[in-house]
Amino acid sequence: MELQQYNHSILKETLYHSVDKSGLNVYVLPKKGYSKSYAIFATHYGSIDSKFVMPGEDKETEVPDGIAHFLEHKLFEQKEGNVFDQFSRLGSSANAFTSFTTTAYLFSSTSKFYENLDILLNFVQNPYFTDESVQKERGIIGQEIRMYDDEPNWRVFFNFLGALYHHHPVKKDIAGTIESISKINKEILYKCYNTFYHPANMILFVVGEVEPDKIIRHVDKNIVAKESPQGEIKRIYPEEPTTVYKQKVEQNLSVSLPLFQMGFKDIDIGYGGIALLKKDIVTRIILEMIIGKSTSLYQSLYEQGLINDTFQTDFNAEINYGFTIFGGESIHPEKVQQEIMHEINRLQRDGLDKAVFDRIKKVIIGRFLRQFNNIDRLANNFVANLFKDINLFDYIKTYQSITFDDIQQRFTKHFKNDNMAISIIKPHETN
Amino acid sequence: MKGLEKVNLKEGLNLYYIPTEKFKTSTMSICIHRQLSEEDATKNALLPYVLRRGCEKFPNAQAIAQYLESLYGAVFDCGINKKGEDQIIYFTFEVVNDEYIPEDRGLLQKIIEFSKCIIFNPVTENQCFKKEYVEQEKNKLKDLIEGLINNKVTYATERCFQEMCKGEKFGTYELGSAKDLEAIDEKNLYEHYKSIIKSSPIDIFITGTADAGQVTELVKNLYDIEFNREVIYPTTEIIAQVKKQKNIVEELDVAQGKLSLGFRTKISPREKDYYSLIVYNGILGGGPHSKLFNNVREKLSLAYYVFSRLEKFKGLMLISSGIEVQNYKKTLDEILLQMEEIKKGNISDYEYQSTINSSITSVNSLKDNSFYMIDYYLGQLVGGTDDSFEDLIVKISSVQKEDVISVAQKIELDTIYFLKNKNK
Repeated sequence: MELQQYNHSILKETLYHSVDKSGLNVYVLPKKGYSKSYAIFATHYGSIDSKFVMPGEDKETEVPDGIAHFLEHKLFEQKEGNVFDQFSRLGSSANAFTSFTTTAYLFSSTSKFYENLDILLNFVQNPYFTDESVQKERGIIGQEIRMYDDEPNWRVFFNFLGALYHHHPVKKDIAGTIESISKINKEILYKCYNTFYHPANMILFVVGEVEPDKIIRHVDKNIVAKESPQGEIKRIYPEEPTTVYKQKVEQNLSVSLPLFQMGFKDIDIGYGGIALLKKDIVTRIILEMIIGKSTSLYQSLYEQGLINDTFQTDFNAEINYGFTIFGGESIHPEKVQQEIMHEINRLQRDGLDKAVFDRIKKVIIGRFLRQFNNIDRLANNFVANLFKDINLFDYIKTYQSITFDDIQQRFTKHFKNDNMAISIIKPHETN
Repeated sequence: MKGLEKVNLKEGLNLYYIPTEKFKTSTMSICIHRQLSEEDATKNALLPYVLRRGCEKFPNAQAIAQYLESLYGAVFDCGINKKGEDQIIYFTFEVVNDEYIPEDRGLLQKIIEFSKCIIFNPVTENQCFKKEYVEQEKNKLKDLIEGLINNKVTYATERCFQEMCKGEKFGTYELGSAKDLEAIDEKNLYEHYKSIIKSSPIDIFITGTADAGQVTELVKNLYDIEFNREVIYPTTEIIAQVKKQKNIVEELDVAQGKLSLGFRTKISPREKDYYSLIVYNGILGGGPHSKLFNNVREKLSLAYYVFSRLEKFKGLMLISSGIEVQNYKKTLDEILLQMEEIKKGNISDYEYQSTINSSITSVNSLKDNSFYMIDYYLGQLVGGTDDSFEDLIVKISSVQKEDVISVAQKIELDTIYFLKNKNK
């Protein structure tokens, strides 16, 4: 396996990349002086992939919601017992997560890294499901779902996605529902596993004080090349209108103050790579220019008591969907929405300020550099981007290419009244 | 202590420098220690939020935000950190190291100067804080105090501690109370500020690549404080006896029940038993190798999360879990049964060894985050111990099963707190 080396002179980091004979992409980012090493083994398969055509078949398969997440839980159970045991014996901490687009298995360790790596690579390749263990997991995941039902930040977010999207599966809870997970059985789990856990659909990313060559040798030894190279997995997503499904949704929960998330549905979608990375950076710069802490809008909302420190903005940039999001706690969410819209309309009329753009660009680069301190988050972020055909080593170059004109264009295209929705969680009415 | 350079700037003011090359940023934390008390908690909690609104050089929040942005998005945060009965007012800062932005140097120096201005040169009007800032921040703090209820997991653990330690200093919520906010105004808060700034121990931590001598000189010149004669560290009382076990049930509109159990360990971080207690806690509920995880979650499928953790300064242990309301008794019985198992000495080699190994990993991992490192050293100061990371690892590694069984006999259940659905 050939090892490519990429040096980044500004970041002062080196990234190694190699493609295993199985098709697995392996990346290593050595970090000197760190106590901890971190490895993440991820498949390009998340909660939105519930309808697909298996390679080699011609008919569509539709599976219950929450299955990618259920599979994540179940892979930890091996024929010999729970794989957590093996990591625990070595003192390392293992975990996993499922997002809309990715399922990832990971560990961090401060010793015996390669033994841990062998365990990681092996358990993810060896599913073992029984009716009994599936039944047991339903109880545990059921409590995970119930926990999220009481979590206002989670609810307000999914209600927001429910308002934004008519059909796209991103609107569905990652863990599914108590009802949908009751339909999951071991046959469906194996089918999803066999479709999405082919090494060619996966990435291994390692960060820490490690040797790239040695990692490659362990991959070589542990990854079993499947008999046939994987054909294309056809992922089927429903036709999604460009409009929002609902302008507003509300729910009542036990909270002290109302909570809201509002944002805009991205209709400029369908591509990954550098173009998507550029859109991501541009959109984040605009968010700061509209309502970052240094803006008059933020200060005025804060001083009026309409927003507090929980207020945040974000942009979620994926290949086949995307949205900007603004939210936090507020005594009067509708008023905040009104003022944000008013300011956006004003800026679209009067124009953005170039001096602000120049200052915000500094913030963006500082934020990017800071990410390199935290090796777990860094690796996770690299992986999420690699599945979008983005290599974060291209970040600074892309960032430097952004002009004020790019900003102005995206600003008029994305932030439109018609593409906006708001989700509000209100306290229960008191008697 | 190894890994840390201490410079005593004057009585009550210490600078701790942690040289490290591996990060792309340098950080600074300023910690002002106050004895936690019901009378002052709310005022102390309000202070950092008022101070961050403006200083002589940057008189409003917008000017501050713009300045931080021009420093490549320098991070400035402040608030309250509670360690035992020490209510710590903290200010933290983070800037990118010079080597990554060749066109703009000296960010660390700029942020140190900025920190001094924020803490010691606030905006005032007629010998008071600015009324507008105080009133606005009072409302914000009220939201924050009342917002505890929004995260049910945190709420159920905090409420358990509050009920358990009613009448003790520790029972005071770290942000104070909404009721006490009413009496605070720009005048009495400013008086309070002037008095505490002269009478509280202040610890300053700096991490990064800068030259220690230069940093020391800079801080020494800037932080030229006139202290009162006596500057004493807050202390924490460890209660050695459970008088009467408490049972608290609270009802809210929730989907999932939350069970919290509060225990007295009666062990101070300065005792040898403390290291055995760390291992005890790890075996009981400190991760996927623990008894609680494997029995309450994996075997009985009662919960998604169940864990135990220590509040080391106050000698407390807390167990927390999210369950179906009707499984209350089943869960409680199982938790107590697992504790009984340890008391009887039923600890497998797997549980013991995994706990030791994972504790070592956790300690070593702290070194990969500047703020975790600072928090660790701060914990040593507050707890009155002097363990470097290496010392702590050696002490944990030497704990034997018998030591764990011996501390298990000491731990006593004090409070059972259950948050449940209104309709059930």
